[in-house]
Amino acid sequence: MSDTAAPLARSPIAPSPATVLDGWEVSARAATGASTLSDETPLAKVLVRAPFDGAGREALGVGFGRTLRTDLGSGAVLLVGSAPGEWLALGAPGTAPALRTALEERLAGTGELTSVLDLTHGRALVRLQGPAATAVLAGVCAIDLADTVTPDGTALRTSVAAVVTDVVRDDVAGVRSYLLHCERSSGQYLWDALLDAGSRSAVEVTGFRGLGSGGTAR
Amino acid sequence: MMLLPCPWCGPRNAGEFKYAGEGGARPDPATTTPEEWRRYLYFHANTRGWVTESWYHGAGCRRWLVVERHTLTHEVREVRDAVQVAREGAR
Repeated sequence: MSDTAAPLARSPIAPSPATVLDGWEVSARAATGASTLSDETPLAKVLVRAPFDGAGREALGVGFGRTLRTDLGSGAVLLVGSAPGEWLALGAPGTAPALRTALEERLAGTGELTSVLDLTHGRALVRLQGPAATAVLAGVCAIDLADTVTPDGTALRTSVAAVVTDVVRDDVAGVRSYLLHCERSSGQYLWDALLDAGSRSAVEVTGFRGLGSGGTAR
Repeated sequence: MMLLPCPWCGPRNAGEFKYAGEGGARPDPATTTPEEWRRYLYFHANTRGWVTESWYHGAGCRRWLVVERHTLTHEVREVRDAVQVAREGAR
């Protein structure tokens, strides 16, 4: 038996059919419909904690409730102000160590007590995208998803299908899109709940999309 | 449905919060007696009217909040971050 095979990372959401991308087992499906649900768990996920009103916030460039697309030297990053004093950095698959280092370097000069933690394999991340995304999400969470209340670039944490979830509105090329981030152990349940809620809206499963291009500072 | 106006997240369903009881000054552990600890931990006034309470927004900002709520009508008069309240109390 060979012990030299590269390790394969698996999302908590079972893909069918499966293929391998950047060392992750992902879905090989390609949806043809307008509204889709994709498993984005392979994205690098790094959690930052720092005082909510201190120099760390200035160094990161984004506050609670908003997102920022930037490049920290490890590639394109989506910085999310997920809670007071808490940020989530999302990057391309396989960039978590570089992203963690880049964030530590950026925060080193603040003199504040900060922590940077790689959560890539401990969390689940899905993207609900398309014209039906808002209606589907509204069926499982109590947040007002109107443009006036939660425009593109909004980040919040709430209960989605009774799961504590970070909801990030991250439109792609003008199309409504939500990133939903939760504990790994709740990932498959959240996925199934969203598919169930989206069954009347013809939401289809599609393969890994990645961060996409998006905008810049928002 | 009962709404609590979180100072960080805005109005949210009370189901997102955990009720942690009536708020009050914590006795000094170095000087308090066991009887005083018991009273602090387990005895509540259960007032019918305005009460200052502690709530934890576990499904949102994950902050402890100090809430002034009317126990009969569920009207909420004021909600503040507990850290801010503690800082002001320490001044």
